[in-house]
Amino acid sequence: MNTYTLATDRNGLFDITPQVLAALRESGITDGLLVVSIPHTTAAVTVVSHWDPLGLEDIDDEIRRLVPTRVDFKHQADTPQDAAGHVKAAIVGHSRTFCVDKGELVLGSSQKIFFWEFDGPRRRTFHTQVLGK
Amino acid sequence: MNQLLPDFLSHIRSLPALLPRLVEAIEPRARRVLSTPEIYQVRQIILTGSGDSHIAAESAAPALRTWTGLPVQALKAMDVARYLTQGMKKHSQHLRGALVVCVSHSGEAARVVEAAQRTRAAGARTLALTANPDSRLSRAATNVLALAVPDAGAVPGTSSYCASLFGLYLLGLRIAEVRLCISMDTANALRHELTQLQVPMAHAIEVCEKPLAARAQAWAHCRVADILGSGPGAGAAAYGAAKLIEATGIHAVSQDIEEFFHLNYFVAEPAEVATLVFAGAGSAAASRTRELSGTLQDLGRPFLLLTDDARFGLPEHSLVLPVVPEWLTPLLGVVPATLLAAFWADRTGAAYFRGHSGRWRASQSGALVRGSAIEPKAKEDEG
Repeated sequence: MNTYTLATDRNGLFDITPQVLAALRESGITDGLLVVSIPHTTAAVTVVSHWDPLGLEDIDDEIRRLVPTRVDFKHQADTPQDAAGHVKAAIVGHSRTFCVDKGELVLGSSQKIFFWEFDGPRRRTFHTQVLGK
Repeated sequence: MNQLLPDFLSHIRSLPALLPRLVEAIEPRARRVLSTPEIYQVRQIILTGSGDSHIAAESAAPALRTWTGLPVQALKAMDVARYLTQGMKKHSQHLRGALVVCVSHSGEAARVVEAAQRTRAAGARTLALTANPDSRLSRAATNVLALAVPDAGAVPGTSSYCASLFGLYLLGLRIAEVRLCISMDTANALRHELTQLQVPMAHAIEVCEKPLAARAQAWAHCRVADILGSGPGAGAAAYGAAKLIEATGIHAVSQDIEEFFHLNYFVAEPAEVATLVFAGAGSAAASRTRELSGTLQDLGRPFLLLTDDARFGLPEHSLVLPVVPEWLTPLLGVVPATLLAAFWADRTGAAYFRGHSGRWRASQSGALVRGSAIEPKAKEDEG
């Protein structure tokens, strides 16, 4: 398993595809599965088109509309943004699995892997694990 | 040597170990004392208290203002109790949206209780910061943040002052974090700085003991002292003056560095006025403090700069403390303030608080501040 750190400077999407590809190359595995896992409860991992940066903003804007940061969450141990972040992360999910074929990560031409921050800025971590032969 | 000095020194040396315990005990309570909706209702923060508690409020106010972005002011309990609501119409609720943090270690200081009663009646949320959850202050307030203070030992007001400061800082960090003025990572980093202050505080004790013992000997003939500082250093100066009065009985006053040039500069017989200056090299007031150093020298005052940079002033007038962020000056300042007072009292044979005896016997058990008549309503509201 490989572990990476990143310092998010805001809420939103952060491209982690280069690190994931590097982890695959380092593993030497040519056929199998690659898992990206986020060990946080206020951040998630997703796949999004990377061509238009405004599209990334749309996605983040939309989840803010779905789960607004409000003061009446029952979870008040931390902050309203943290409470909203728990809900968003639960919806989006904390891991993604990708196919590996002939040494390549199977991604469409528009697809990139993004770390999605819901409670930034924070110091964050994510893991990759490659399974196969 | 005064027989109490070893006890005082022992207590001061135990302070660094107390700091992480204060964070551990108070932080979870500060996290729960106000709900998220209550925090978002706050439009201004008033910190109030008397004596050391007011000094703690004055010391913490700049940091809380910076962190929360809210108007934060430290007011004396008399101002809050008798003047803040003066002239307001009955049932006007003029203080709706105000969070009034009432600090009293015992929870029994009459004027602070009165401040809580009157501001609550005027619509404020009143938060008691006290070591006594069953006190009159706790009953008068809408919310109570209990301060855990392990055995306060023999040095008057030292552990309780630190606990009050920690309570204010941790409350301010909680409000700032929940209002999203600072990130959770930043809030936690600042909490960590509070915990880790034990290291520079222990170092400060090491570097301060001998020089301040010598300074107390040199200044023992002085019957007047000025303690100077600005911003958070103003709180540290006020605390320093308070400890000198309590321990030695001399007339010690604190003053802002700018105000010194307008007022205390003109005190006669300058060679008899001991002067202690909180002079952090990274302080926002550093340039004015450098000017002050030259002025004190020209006046011929006996003075000492408590600085964190050996190049800040002349070596014979400087004591170099560890570097800490300016907002922590009031906590680190406890060390030189308490040590100077203890050594000075030992040198002159003074009894702390004049032994609460003779002309001062009325002060026993805090009777002068606890027994004052409380006026829960303004005169215009009576009848």
